[in-house]
Amino acid sequence: MSDLIVLPLVLPLFGAFLLPIVMRTSISIGAWIGPAILAYGCWILGDQWISGTTLPFSLAIGGFAPPMGINLYIDSLALLFAFAVQLLGLLFWPFKIDQETARRQALMLLLVAASTGLALSGDLFNLYVFYELVAVATFGLIAASGGSAAYASAIRYLILSGIGSVLTLLGIALIYSQTGTLNLAHLAQLAPEQLNNKLGLTAFLTILIGVGVKAELFPVNTWVPEVYATATSRVSAFLAGLVSKLALLIILRLLVLIFHQPEAIQVMLVLGILGVISGELAAWRAKDMRRMLAFSSIGQLGMIFIALAIPEQGGLLAVLALTFHHLLIKSGLFMLADGWGGAIEKLRGAAKRSPLAAAIFVLFSLSLIGMPPLPGFWAKFTLITQLAAQTSPLYLIGLTVFLLATVIEAAYLLRLAALLYGPAAKDTPIDTLAKPAGLSLATASLFGIGLLAAALFIAPVGDLLNHVAGQAANTDLYINTVLAGTGGSQ
Amino acid sequence: MTLTLLDELLLFSGVTVLVAMLLGRRLPAGWMVTILYGIQLLALMKMAPLGYGGEPISSALTFEVMGQTLSWRFDALSWYFALITLGSALLSSWYACGEWEQRFRQSGGNLWLFHLAMTLNVFSMLILLASGDLLSLFIGWELVSWAGFLLMAMAGGVATKAAMRYITYAMAGAMAIFGGIALVYVSAGSLQYEAILTAASQMSTAHLWMLVILFGAGFGIKMGLMPFHLWQAPAYAETPGPGSAFLGAISSRMGLFAILLVLVKLFGIVNIDSLKIPFTLIDARDLLAWIAVFTIIFPTFTAMKQNDARQLLAWHGIGQGGYMLLGLVVADAMGAAGGLLHVFNHATYQAALFMAVTAVIHRTGTADLNKLGGLVVRMPLTFMVLLVGIIGLAGLPPMNGFVSKWLVYRSLLNEGMPLLFVAAVIGTLGTILSVYKLIHNIFLGQLRIEHDNVKEAPWSMMIPMLILAAIIFITGLLPGIPLAWVASVQQAVGLPVSDYTLGGVESASGSLDMIWVIGVLFAGFGIGALIFYFAGGRSKRVHQLDNYAGGHFLTADVRYQYSDNFYAGLMHLIGGWYRGSFLWLEQSVKSLVEFLSLGMQGLYRRANAEFYLLSTALFVIAWVVI
Repeated sequence: MSDLIVLPLVLPLFGAFLLPIVMRTSISIGAWIGPAILAYGCWILGDQWISGTTLPFSLAIGGFAPPMGINLYIDSLALLFAFAVQLLGLLFWPFKIDQETARRQALMLLLVAASTGLALSGDLFNLYVFYELVAVATFGLIAASGGSAAYASAIRYLILSGIGSVLTLLGIALIYSQTGTLNLAHLAQLAPEQLNNKLGLTAFLTILIGVGVKAELFPVNTWVPEVYATATSRVSAFLAGLVSKLALLIILRLLVLIFHQPEAIQVMLVLGILGVISGELAAWRAKDMRRMLAFSSIGQLGMIFIALAIPEQGGLLAVLALTFHHLLIKSGLFMLADGWGGAIEKLRGAAKRSPLAAAIFVLFSLSLIGMPPLPGFWAKFTLITQLAAQTSPLYLIGLTVFLLATVIEAAYLLRLAALLYGPAAKDTPIDTLAKPAGLSLATASLFGIGLLAAALFIAPVGDLLNHVAGQAANTDLYINTVLAGTGGSQ
Repeated sequence: MTLTLLDELLLFSGVTVLVAMLLGRRLPAGWMVTILYGIQLLALMKMAPLGYGGEPISSALTFEVMGQTLSWRFDALSWYFALITLGSALLSSWYACGEWEQRFRQSGGNLWLFHLAMTLNVFSMLILLASGDLLSLFIGWELVSWAGFLLMAMAGGVATKAAMRYITYAMAGAMAIFGGIALVYVSAGSLQYEAILTAASQMSTAHLWMLVILFGAGFGIKMGLMPFHLWQAPAYAETPGPGSAFLGAISSRMGLFAILLVLVKLFGIVNIDSLKIPFTLIDARDLLAWIAVFTIIFPTFTAMKQNDARQLLAWHGIGQGGYMLLGLVVADAMGAAGGLLHVFNHATYQAALFMAVTAVIHRTGTADLNKLGGLVVRMPLTFMVLLVGIIGLAGLPPMNGFVSKWLVYRSLLNEGMPLLFVAAVIGTLGTILSVYKLIHNIFLGQLRIEHDNVKEAPWSMMIPMLILAAIIFITGLLPGIPLAWVASVQQAVGLPVSDYTLGGVESASGSLDMIWVIGVLFAGFGIGALIFYFAGGRSKRVHQLDNYAGGHFLTADVRYQYSDNFYAGLMHLIGGWYRGSFLWLEQSVKSLVEFLSLGMQGLYRRANAEFYLLSTALFVIAWVVI
């Protein structure tokens, strides 16, 4: 039963290579392959959750038990992320049929496979491989998605990401040279003795900066506004919503399992604070909706980094709450930007043309700002109570910056909302105003319904996240699960 | 789960929102909503024992979220504010029904949105007033802010701009409160009032100061306390007429409610001597008192310079909030009673004044004080209502404003705070001058040619105005009626209670009996009339166009009216004092954000991303190694 968990990882990979061949013979069959695979993946992962398989469990691949062999580690956090990957892959599926279809869909499947791998992998080397695979798929998708501007920004992103990967690899190499293993559980065992030193710290920081390129960590995130502004909304939504969070997941795992140095946390906190300041302030003046969302995304990721820097389990809860909230909101907002992207001024009066889209925008904005009783409020509430409980003054600075940034966030989001509901510019008939594409609007509505449902059932959602955070924070559980009883083999 | 009386009230309020939302596009929506407000008021009346020292009523509804318990309950404090809220909602909504609605719809207004925003405001205010812990207080607080934003922004154009400014201020305030809540949570371990009450008694001075500043600023922004007052007047003035009557009457009092609940009841700010500012003789309470006094003076004198009647009233709304806070921080039995009573009194005359001005706008199409005049012959009843209202606002007998202001003044003298007293009197002087400008420029002088055919306001608008005028007079004559409620509020909050009688207060340090005062006043009028008639009673009736006072001509085609450049002589004396320093401050904060934003955008626009990456990596590694 639990062996099935490899399928959501393998099937999309397989599909990605198969798709161009099938597409050549029959487009109509090929067009169904991707969604079918992803739907099946969703079903398997959802089934794992519902059928109550005992979590966490570890799955050795190829019959070699860890730490020798490679393994997948599935706890509720990994499962949640993997499920989100498959589901969002399905929601953001590039349905458009043209001569690029095969390439685009194959890349999308590749991205989903690699992202699932990132969520499930139990050792550092595999994480790196999947991370690179995600990068490659992303470049392809960005470049395939538009004109020369997208191409140029993809190149720039490629270079930056490449250097980031080298840095990450350097960190991994440092760890390997010190400990001789890359299995996370094994590393967690060895870390207190072998990595609790300057070398370990250096390794962590190089990985942090390297992976930070994708996690939109300040100051290695300068690619963000340009790429999100030029790629298609679906790709941007997937990148901002999910890929950044997966990079964050790597850092989270490393932090919980291996690196407990206060300096590591401090660096992250400072960079997080700078990220919030720079992102939210830059968004204040943004004149383009996609850019505004990109800057706001940088700010939000900064908040998550601040939350990551809180050493207790409560911090982890705040991380998860903020992460999943942002995932939902930003994906939805980017869906609205499909059609509403471009200069903000052009959106004057657009609420008359598409009242539903405007209403969804307001809903998302309010939740992002943290208006009770929407879920964003609870996420922020968890964060600030945790921050206030810390004794180091740096956390209080983080708290202050966070609160001020929220005011700025409210100002620019509402300015846009007021523009939407304001009167249209003279001599522009309402029919000519911009309107989000039908499919994207439907997707955004789905996210909106999800958000409202979460607001309604906030108590069980909170308990669930608390449970997930508790499991993820339990280092001993991780070590024991992987090294003692390895489940079946494939 | 059985429904308590509080649940019933909230349920009715929720139903009102639903009715406004679903049936609001039908024509009689205004009447339906008004009737539902009436039903809510009846439900509130069933809880009337609360106003006379009854036990608090809890809601059957509680939530358990993320380890926090949310609960709701009503006590004397909530009941008193809820009474004012529902009363002003009922009368403003009644006022809106009929002719005003039709005119609003014809001029392109969205009536559905107006009713919805009003009902949402009332609903969210009731939720705020019912909050049973700090978290539900914050939730209610935010709901009130956003509902208010909806009502302010709906008119579009200038109104939306003012509302945007409001929401930015409100967000800043909310975030201050949010931060305060986090700090309280950490030190008390819970957000229940009882836990905070015990924790507050053991907090260090620095911690307490921090909390007082955070909560004080957060709640103060909603009240329009200095220096956070700039948003309020434009935002209230630009709201559609009955909406501004409602907002002006009660909305910013939510800030006072929260200050009472959190700062006075939980932190006991008026009793703490330890909150001293080093090297001065001032403590937190004095600081608040001085803020209150400046809030009285500056906005009141700003009001005097306004040329739009609604702006003038809205600026006074800010200033009057200062009297309420002043009375409360003096916090002896009389001062607190005065401050609390002023909430009720202010709501009554402010609503009446806004309604009267809206009636003038309804008939003439303008609220510009330089374009009106002489309307007393065309709208005598509206004139009467406005007259009653401004006597209340200025705090003169026989109207209710006199009672509350008298109590505040008396307590300042009793407690030995002469400087504050003098400052408060200066504020009253400004009030009298500016309300005279209001009534003169609209109703006195010579009627303008274009207003020759103006009629009295329609009855649908007149009746609520007359009811309010009656309340203003009756509670001025018999202040014991609201003072009973005020006394139980004082008890609930933990302030000393004064001995009240039907006609006022009795105390060793000074008593007031309004029945007596008004009796003497009217007797004086009567004697004067007698002397006049016995002396022959010679009077000469002159035509309205035949009266002159002073001033200067404008042009030949404008009838004689010295409304333009009113108080020129006074402005010659004090005009130089208006420097717009707060506007300058606000503008500089905005410029600073713009500037920083520009810098940050520059940071992200630079193409040398790789340089950032490598230098950060190098820097971090160097930091580790060294």
